[in-house]
Parts: sequence; structure tokens; C-alpha cells
Amino acid sequence: MKQKNLLSLFLACCLAFTLTACGGKTEEPEAGGGDAAPAEEASGETITLGMIGPLTGSLAVYGTHIEKGVKLAIDEINAAGGVALSDGACQLAVETKDDQGDPTECVNAMNALISDGIQLVVGSATSGCTSAITSVANSEGVVMITPSGTADSLTTAMDFVFRTCFRDSFQGELAAQWAKDEGYTKVGIVYCSADTYSAGLRDAFTAACGDKGLEIVAEESVATMTEVDYTNQFNKMVSAGAEMVFTPFYYDVMGPYLVPQARSVGFTGVLLGADGVDNTETTIPDGADLSVYNDVYFVNHYSTELAASDVSTNFVKNYEAAYGETPNNFDALAYDAVYVYKTAMEACGASDAASVQAALADTSAAYDTTCGSFSFDETGTPIKNGVLMGYTYTAGDEDVSKITVKALSLS
Amino acid sequence: MKQTSIKARYLVNLAAALLLFALAVVIGMTGGSTMKLKITPSLWQCSYLIIMAASLNLVLGFLGQLSLGHCGFMAVGAYAASLFSLALQRAGFYTEKSGPAFMLVLLLSFLIAGASAALLGLLVGIPALRLKGDYLAIITLGFGMIIVNLINNLPFCGQQGLSQGSASSALYATGLGFSNDEKMQYLWVAALVVILCMTVMFMFVRSKYGRCIRAIRDNEIAAAASGINVSYYKVMTFTISAFFAGITGTLYACCNASLSTTSFAFTNGSILNSVFIVVMVVVGGMGSLTGSVIAAVVLFLLNYTIKNGAWVAALPAFLQNVFTYPMLVYSIALIVVIMFRPRGIMGSREFALCDIPKWPAWISSYFASRGLEKSAKKEAANHG
Repeated sequence: MKQKNLLSLFLACCLAFTLTACGGKTEEPEAGGGDAAPAEEASGETITLGMIGPLTGSLAVYGTHIEKGVKLAIDEINAAGGVALSDGACQLAVETKDDQGDPTECVNAMNALISDGIQLVVGSATSGCTSAITSVANSEGVVMITPSGTADSLTTAMDFVFRTCFRDSFQGELAAQWAKDEGYTKVGIVYCSADTYSAGLRDAFTAACGDKGLEIVAEESVATMTEVDYTNQFNKMVSAGAEMVFTPFYYDVMGPYLVPQARSVGFTGVLLGADGVDNTETTIPDGADLSVYNDVYFVNHYSTELAASDVSTNFVKNYEAAYGETPNNFDALAYDAVYVYKTAMEACGASDAASVQAALADTSAAYDTTCGSFSFDETGTPIKNGVLMGYTYTAGDEDVSKITVKALSLS
Repeated sequence: MKQTSIKARYLVNLAAALLLFALAVVIGMTGGSTMKLKITPSLWQCSYLIIMAASLNLVLGFLGQLSLGHCGFMAVGAYAASLFSLALQRAGFYTEKSGPAFMLVLLLSFLIAGASAALLGLLVGIPALRLKGDYLAIITLGFGMIIVNLINNLPFCGQQGLSQGSASSALYATGLGFSNDEKMQYLWVAALVVILCMTVMFMFVRSKYGRCIRAIRDNEIAAAASGINVSYYKVMTFTISAFFAGITGTLYACCNASLSTTSFAFTNGSILNSVFIVVMVVVGGMGSLTGSVIAAVVLFLLNYTIKNGAWVAALPAFLQNVFTYPMLVYSIALIVVIMFRPRGIMGSREFALCDIPKWPAWISSYFASRGLEKSAKKEAANHG
């Protein structure tokens, strides 16, 4: 009996190790080519940035990409001699915390970073988690820049909370304007009323539709952001005659469930999502009918194809050299967040939270980022444009391909 | 047991409770960033996990009914308390988070949270507890999901009302939500609530009601035949359990200062969800309130130190990979506990301070009996 117990314990451990061995972290190659030896002579002290994101759990892709973007930016900055403060150049380092996509864990992570003496934080990925730590950041006086928390209410006043992405109401407006420009008159909405992100986008889209004279013929809600059945909702869309349906969901349900089910009940129109739909190509199940992913579009922050400035072409080149894949918007926005910190630190010549906050709060300062140059508005949200991206599949191809349709800006 | 020794036990426990409370007050007055940023938030999180696990143990361990929607009651409590505090603040009843007016609000929030959850527990319990086994589990599972969806879709309290950015900072700025400094200042509230709730639960399971529900757990037909009103006791226990779960909702709202229904779901990424509370009860021992306390604290510490502790970094690389997936570690911990202590860490025993002097004797007798068993087995093998 005893041996049996030990044997089963041993097997359980084996299972765990084999699982993790597959996903095990291998040493990632240094960014910036082979000669990326950090400029040792320039190193005064090291400034450690904090990073919070969902590294495990259902939204792990967000967190891991933010981590990659942050690390790439830090490696580049260090290789180029660090951050020039008033008392000499400093190297950058990062301390990473996993929040599992849960607000409570996110608060724990934030507190742990603050107690380690970190004053500048990049994170978190989703609006729900980020809203849980904004109050901590403000009360403890720690600057945070969220790369992808798009909910309007995250940054309402010029305080310690900033972001490098646009806000949901802007994203919703862009979506509505595109719908109007394309000549749609009857639109539908399928969203999740339980989620800050989804419900916020739906509110913004609804308001913008009202302004632009688009008729919302049907609106359906699902219970959770991880819902697996959307057939009822899309049956309603079809019977209401919606030409286009707005679907503010995350990639983890778009690929396997939402898109195929929408097509299976006979919805042939356009599915328009927001930035959460990016990465859907990673969640398409094997053997799926790829033609259903035609006419799926989403508003996004960033596109490698529209990379025009030096900063963005450099970013794409270095990212591909370091990780061997094309960057997505989480990489780009996190990368931007680090460079925004660098610019602000160099502007004020210090790395403490109060000075950096004051530098960031200067709305006239411009930041050169992968998405173009922007400055913050009076709430700490950048004033910038978006892009419309989508998926396309032509019969005979091996995979769906991600395409960039056009740059979007409010007229 | 002799009357005097029972009295002595009560005195020892009272002294321990007072000591615990005094400790919380003292910690609240100290300073230091580790205390403020790590230890105090952890103690607050432990406080609601402890009461959650112990209150579920009343239903799962003592009554023997599987309930899978316990976090639903917590959600009801959390939202009721938050809305109540916000309403009073907007009505101008209190303006700052101190003083007698706020203390009264805090007290009323706890009571309202408990009462609203208990009312729902009663409403769900009356039809649900006529079912047995799997069916009750399914109903309570459904209840947990319904509550989450109801809250999400109510315009005044769902995602729109309390969790979304500015509204969540409203809860933080003017409602119940505590900042790190206030968590220190009001640590004694959490300690007091835990002590009071645990005392009442102990008194409940030791009373004649407690004996009745254990009789129902062991054999429902026999209990009914001896004159116990089975449905009455079942509904009563379920309601009491829901009451305490509601109270934890207020602790949660105070501690986290932002509410989102994902935290009260059936499963999620963290350790606060209906399933994980069941795991805590099973690990601690079904039918042992102190076991639930131990399991809640142990699992919290496991979760917290995996992410913030230094010991993970000291492990060899291949082991560290396991710890990047915390859920995997919990399942291994659960397997280990169930294999070596099939009835949970404490079984159905209770931890008692007065029993500590007897531990050496118990441990030696445990090993002696195992030795006997082994030699008996060998004997049997030799003869076989």
C-alpha cells in the first residue's frame, strides 16, 4: 500500500515536470544582436522597473508579450548606455510579477513591488486588474503605466496612472465611424455585461452609433468572457437582419467559439472586434474551416505593416531578431511604456516617482513611440490614432493571414 | 469530562483570543513598509478565507451536504455592504473613514451583508435541501452562477456600478474600501470579526443543534426516526453558513476596495472561488473547524509565497518551472494530503490549546500502534 502511494506521488510529480518541461523557460537570446554587451562603464546605479501581467492563466499571452516587449526595450536601452539622469547614466532592470488575471492577486503583486522599493510600474494587462491597483498606485505614490488597460475610467485625472494605449470610448468611436464609412446602417452587438472591458466598449460603440445615425437592431449579452456558446446570440442577430456585429471579446473565445458559431447559424456579415481580438490566429482549432475567419476585423493600436517611423521599424527589426516572431500590439505598447519612462526620467533627470510623475504630467511633452509620436492629454491617456486589422483566408492557403486594412482616425 | 477542566479550557481559549486581538491592535500601530505592504494585506485576505472555509465546513463537514456555490453568498454580502456604505456616504451620514459614525456604518455593513446572504441562503435552502447528494451540488452550483450574472446585470451594482475604474475608486475613496494605511489602522476589525465568527461557529457545532446536524450527516433515516426534524435543521445550518459567508463579503470589500464578480465565480485563476473553498475544507478535514482555519492559512501562504517568496528562487531550475504554474502546485499539494491524510490534515479532530501537553503521548502511541500493525502484518505474511 505504502509503495503504491509513493509510486502514485512520484508519477504525479513526473506528470507535472513533463508538463512544465514543455513550457519551460529557455534562455532567450539577447536583444540587439550579438554585440549587446551592456555598457559597463556607464552604469551608475540600476533602476528597477516593476512589471505586472497575467503570465499564467487564460490570458497568459497578454502577460508574456508584455514581458517580451519590456525586456526588449530594457535590453536596447542598456546596450545604448542606459538612461541619462542628472547624476550620470543608469542601467535598467525589471522585476516581473504574475497576477493570473485576478484583481486580488494584482493588488498583492503591486504591494510586493512597492515593498521592494520599486517606484515605476508597467502593468497590468486587462482593465479589470488595472482598476484594482490604480487606488494603490495613487495612495502609495507610485507611477504606473498600463500598456493595454483601455477602460475609460482608469485614468480620470492627472495622477499617478498613465497608459500607452487609447481608451475604450475612442476605440468604440473608431469602430462606429468605420462602420458608417463602410455604409452599414443596421448593426448588432454581442458583448459580455460582466466584464469591464467588453461592457465599456459596448457603451462607447452604442453612443457613437447614436451620434452617427447607425441603427442598433439587436443587442445580446453573454454571462462571462469565457463563454463557449454564442449560437443563440447570433441567431438573434441573423433574424434581426444585422449587417455587421460588434464583438468586443478577447482572442481566447474568438478563434475556437465565437467566429465559427456565428457562421454556423448563418451570419455572413462582418464581425468587428476591438484590440482584444488580436492574436485570434493562435486560438483557431486544428482542422477548423478557415474560410469562416474571412470578414473578421478589429480595431488595433499598432500594425507592423504601417510601421513608418524609425522607432517602429527599429522595433520590428530588433524584436524579430530577438524572439524570431512578429511583434503584436502588446509587445509594442509595453515597449512604448518603457521608452515613455526613459524619456520622462531623462526630462526630469531623476528616477523617483514624484519627479517622473511631474514629468509625465507635462502634456506638452511628446513621446516618440512605435505607434507614432504622441503626448498625454490631461488625464494621462495618449492622443493618437488606431488601425483597422482583419483576417483573410483564400482557399488553398495553409493558414489564415492577418491583414492591415487602413489607419483609422476620427474625422 | 470534568466541569473544572472544561472551565479551564474556556479560560485558556478566551486568553488566546484576547492575545490575538491585542496582537492585531499592536500590529496596527506599528509601522514599516513590509508590515504595511505585505503582512497586513495578507492578514486581511486570510481573515476572509478562514471564515469562508469554516462556514462552508458547517454545511460540508458537519451537515454532510455538498455546496458548490458558497462564493455566491460572499458576493451578495460584498455588494450589499458596499452599496449600503456608498449610499450612506452620499446621504452625508459620514464624511471620513474614522469616528463613531463610520464605526456604526462598518458594524451595520457587516450585519446587512450577513442578513442579506442569510435571507438568500434561506430562499435557496428551502427547496434545495429537499434534494440529496449530487442534486444539491448542482443546485448550489447553479445558484452561484445565477448570483454572479444577476449582479452583473443589475444597473446599480454590476460591473458598471462598482468595479469600473472611477466607481471602484469611489468605493475606495468614500465607501468601505481601505487603503494600505487604513488596513493597518483597522486590522483589529478583521481580527475581531474572525474571533467572533469562529466562536459562534464553535458554539453552534458544540450545541444540541450541532449534535443534531452531525446525527443527520451520519444517518439521516436514524436521525429522523429519533425525532429530529431533518429539513428544519438542514435549512437552518445552510442559512447560518450563508450568514457567515455574507460577512466575509464585507471583509473582502474592505480589503480589496474594488469588486468584480470574477472573484466570486465558480472557478477563476486565484484561490478565492467556490471550488477552492471546497478544497480548503477537504484539505483541512471535513468536520474540523480548526482544520479549515489551518488549511485556509496554509493554502493562502502557499499561493502568496509562490509569487512573492524568496524560497522559490532558491530551488533548482527544473523545480522552478513547476512553480510558474501555481495551479499545478495546488493539485500536487492536494494529492499529497489526500494520499497521506485521506480525511484531511485534522480529520474530524479539533485543535485545542489545552491538548498541546498531551501531544508527545499521542505521537508516541501513534507510532507504537503503527509498529504493532507492521509486526502484525509481518506475522500474517510469515504465516500466509
